Amino acid sequence: MKNQLVHMKGTKDGLVLRLDDQCAYQDLVEELERKVSEGGIDGRVNVSLDLGYRYLLEQQKQELINIIEHPGKMVVSKVLSNVITVDENNAKMQGNLCDTYVGIVRSGQVIQAPGDIIVIGDVNPNGKIEAGGNIFVMGKLKGIAHAGIGGDREAIVAASWFEPTHVYIADVIEVMSNEKPIVKEHAEQLFAYINKEGNISYDRLQEARKIRPLLNTKGGS
Amino acid sequence: MTGCRKPEKYGHYSTLKEVANVGEAIVITSGKGGVGKTTTAANLGTALALQGKKVCLVDTDIGLRNLDLVLGLDNRIIYDLVDVVEGRCKIHQALVKDKRVDDKLYLLPAAQTTDKNAVTPEQMKELINELKREFEYVLIDCPAGIEQGYRNAIAGADSAIVVTTPEISAVRDADRVIGLLEKEEINPPKLIINRVRKDLINQGDAMNINEITTHLSIDLLGIIVDNEDVIASSNKGEPIVMDPNNKASLGYRNIARRILGESVPLMTLEEEHKGVFKKLMSIFSR
Repeated sequence: MKNQLVHMKGTKDGLVLRLDDQCAYQDLVEELERKVSEGGIDGRVNVSLDLGYRYLLEQQKQELINIIEHPGKMVVSKVLSNVITVDENNAKMQGNLCDTYVGIVRSGQVIQAPGDIIVIGDVNPNGKIEAGGNIFVMGKLKGIAHAGIGGDREAIVAASWFEPTHVYIADVIEVMSNEKPIVKEHAEQLFAYINKEGNISYDRLQEARKIRPLLNTKGGS
Repeated sequence: MTGCRKPEKYGHYSTLKEVANVGEAIVITSGKGGVGKTTTAANLGTALALQGKKVCLVDTDIGLRNLDLVLGLDNRIIYDLVDVVEGRCKIHQALVKDKRVDDKLYLLPAAQTTDKNAVTPEQMKELINELKREFEYVLIDCPAGIEQGYRNAIAGADSAIVVTTPEISAVRDADRVIGLLEKEEINPPKLIINRVRKDLINQGDAMNINEITTHLSIDLLGIIVDNEDVIASSNKGEPIVMDPNNKASLGYRNIARRILGESVPLMTLEEEHKGVFKKLMSIFSR
């Protein structure tokens, strides 16, 4: 008898369908169709699809899901896979990357980063920083900062000296005027974030751990 | 393999020596117009020539030439920069000699009848390289702006001097130009703050020197105090630096000495009130 290509296993989170990752894709499809039509399940259940080390195109994944859901008894809630492509991995890494720019961002210059960026130096008026993630300026921020450019509303803009002309976070724009009391009186060590009302707020850098606890990636001892 | 290494080494050595023998091309730029690029070029050129260096001033403000007027050489122009680039004359035919500084100062005037697009950066580079073989310093007077004229002016330069005044608009434009210069393969630009007025700074109506230098964060080459004689001398076609007793002239002379590698302390604005004794003290305490 042939090896089983589709393993069905019950766990406390629901049914897991583990598909063999060494056989031909066509064989897998055939066995899956057979297994699903066998039935033996009452009612609708959530299943997780575990692909193991097999890489599937988006279209193939959809095909398998359609086969499983076709009889109307199982719903695929999750697709697990141990592999991703190099491109996907790189894109993921870029988003998590923290770039460092050493120098002065002068008038007319634009510095872009896919993830976070640390600027060691000043951002002069009309200089611009654009980042997919957070912006940290170790010098004076006197220009324009756009954090979370891809839409990350959790992103922050922090600076040792916080005196920007414009702050953008995701799709929220703030034109800095001198009326902001905290910025006017205390430009040192501030950061900007989107508050619960959806507006840009400022606070002391020390408050970041309360306002954005998820920024922390390192545990202390 | 070892046989062919020796001549290779010799070849390398000789090119190094050749490089060491040529002069330095310095572009004087600012971004904003009217901050005193041309005046600075004329005065620094004259000051370097007075120090015994062979200097060529190159006016790249094609179509709006002024440097010849400030130097008082306008009526001696026969050929210009565009004539040289287009091969209508030899370089030395176009160079105008300043007779006041014996055989040390020359001007390559800009053309007046055409515009900045008449030359390309490649042609400028070639021209400046040729001048560098003959002169110890080639000062390039850059037009205002950051377009074609600017690109032509910086093409052949080895280093750059950025001129600004203590006004926020001039400083902002200087910041932009410094950013552009830092992308070029030249020495880090140096700063001259022109038209410094002590009274305005003390009143808080103008940016002070420290503010400007920290904002731009490049080396300060010198400051020039605001002085009405500068305008008068420009109109006469006689650079102020010829007058040894003028305060602005001293500023230019100091900058010229710094370019030559001397370490000259920065002129403080308070120095105006110093007594003779204090002045003597400061000379000895150097």
